[in-house]
Amino acid sequence: MSYRPCGVYHQYYKQDHAWWQTKFVWGKMILLLFTVFYIIPQFAGMYLISIANVVGYTILSAIGVQLLIGYCGQVTLGHAAFLAMGAYTCTLLMLQLHIPYPIAMIMGGIVGGLWSVLFGLPSARVKGFYLIMTTMAAQFITVEFFITQYVSQIGGRGVAYSIPPGTVKIGPWMIKSDMDVYYVMVILVILCILVMANLLRSKVGRAWIAIRDNDIAAETMGVNIVFYKLLAFFVAGFFGGVAGAFWTSSLAAVSPEHFHFGWSLWLVGVILIGGVGSIHGIIYGAMFMTLIPEGLKFLIFVLTQNPFFVDLMPFLPLLLEKFLFVKEAAFGLAIVLFLIFEPNGISYRWWQIKNYFNLWPFSY
Amino acid sequence: MEIFLQLLITGILVGSIYALVALGWTLIYKCSGVLNLAMGELTLIGAYVCLTFYHWGIPFILALLFTLVIGFVLGILTEILFLRPMVGEPVLSVIMVTVGLAFFFKGLVMLIWGTDTVVFTPWVFPMEPVFIGKIVVGQVYLWAFVASIILLIGFVTFFKYTKWGLSMQATADDEMAALSLGVNAKVVYALAWAIAFMAAGVGGTLLGNINGLNISVGYLGLLVLPAVVLGGLNSVPGAIVGGLVIGIIQNLADGYLSRFTPGGVKDVFPFAVMVIVLLFKPYGLWGWVRIERV
Repeated sequence: MSYRPCGVYHQYYKQDHAWWQTKFVWGKMILLLFTVFYIIPQFAGMYLISIANVVGYTILSAIGVQLLIGYCGQVTLGHAAFLAMGAYTCTLLMLQLHIPYPIAMIMGGIVGGLWSVLFGLPSARVKGFYLIMTTMAAQFITVEFFITQYVSQIGGRGVAYSIPPGTVKIGPWMIKSDMDVYYVMVILVILCILVMANLLRSKVGRAWIAIRDNDIAAETMGVNIVFYKLLAFFVAGFFGGVAGAFWTSSLAAVSPEHFHFGWSLWLVGVILIGGVGSIHGIIYGAMFMTLIPEGLKFLIFVLTQNPFFVDLMPFLPLLLEKFLFVKEAAFGLAIVLFLIFEPNGISYRWWQIKNYFNLWPFSY
Repeated sequence: MEIFLQLLITGILVGSIYALVALGWTLIYKCSGVLNLAMGELTLIGAYVCLTFYHWGIPFILALLFTLVIGFVLGILTEILFLRPMVGEPVLSVIMVTVGLAFFFKGLVMLIWGTDTVVFTPWVFPMEPVFIGKIVVGQVYLWAFVASIILLIGFVTFFKYTKWGLSMQATADDEMAALSLGVNAKVVYALAWAIAFMAAGVGGTLLGNINGLNISVGYLGLLVLPAVVLGGLNSVPGAIVGGLVIGIIQNLADGYLSRFTPGGVKDVFPFAVMVIVLLFKPYGLWGWVRIERV
């Protein structure tokens, strides 16, 4: 989307649609892959790896939300329900039927997608606020009722499904430490982003964007609105289910607590802050929303260790103790402030900065 | 039959509180077109403020009045600080601002008042139940009903007969026409939020009196969404009837369906009803029908 450097001309559409258009981008991407696959696992500590896993989980979960809200214009406030369906399907298949993890994960994705289509059906009749209400109802009906009251009873395991160590494995490779989870996460994130990006530059993606921009015009152009909306719901639910299934690998037990309403709203916040309608936005948003609170927590922790600062600001230990609530309030405020002052999100700001330096010092 | 009557009456009494909160919600939507998802948190704030005043030793009625005043101020502040910059922005952005506000308020409430359940001590309303024929009703419910009805009548009178109420109705009906006739839209928006805060505060206080006060009262505040969807988003009578109906449906479901499920019907049933209403009659009972083919 940004300007190309001087002297780069395209002769074919294929070049114009390529992801990595110049040698410089190739180098940058290979460096990024090298960082992700080698430098981070090698040099980051266990704590940083676990944070990276949370970032990856947030990215995976937010892809579906971005697809629905950012590309198809169908607002969803119940995405955690689809994550939960994926996670529970995957866990059940692994525990009850001893199905291998990758297959269980894909099944989880499919169930999540079908469940999402079920609650996307009203989108054929209603839109806007009414659809928001339906997806919200999906959250309550699925997580608070269906999963808590019925699914959790299967196998007599009580509310939380504990996952014994060694259950989650791909072939002979056991996924037990954070490092293993990290590799799974990186591969999944790359795969999902690839799928999403490719969908968006195909016929399907163009149909979604047309529906988002003007559904009546899209219909007159021959786009089957109901089909593509439901397809968007299915794909988004699939991504959600995969994300939920992935997260089971790093949990000791799956319980409805992991998929509460707040998490659905959090995901919408992630894409709003990162930038609606942008794949980069998912990644920036997830990093912002995970790293900033962690950094803040670390800062407060460091400050409380020093008596000087505690004397200066006597509320610090209390703040650390109640950090969860501080985080929630700060998150809410961040969403509001971003919407008021930076409605296009971080990715737009990043794009502007990049262009500024591309053209610097002659920006005209 | 007795069980049915019992459930029905309890439902109506609780429903009147929902109706009060739903009225506040509808008001914001009518006047400024903002779909407010922070209603649950507004009830929480009101309830905790009232509780704090009450625990300082202020009589309950006076504490409730102070809560109204604080709600008024907070409502106007919220509108000026957070909602006014969003006038004219896309609907989704405005909705998400209210979601952000919900998180913000909830975080603040938990930060200030903690997460433990607190009760109004000493009891505000006497504990002895009242017998209506063979039906037992707690006095809390009865007084909550009375208070809600008084406030509902008060608000409706305000709309019908005062200058500001009429200008709010005018703005809701046609904003451009109202502006050209000299209605100050800024004041109307702020007033709508102030009234919503006040109604939610009283509703939250009453709900807190029934079961004790914790974060889950905010969840009860979310029940206003099924109520307004049922009644039609921009209809004041719809909000009142919707609140009552949701209260009744919730109690009936609790009484009759609980034995077929492991539990939790009471919390979920209103939302299930909402989905059905959305599928078959998305504009509710008395909402404006806008022909909009999707």
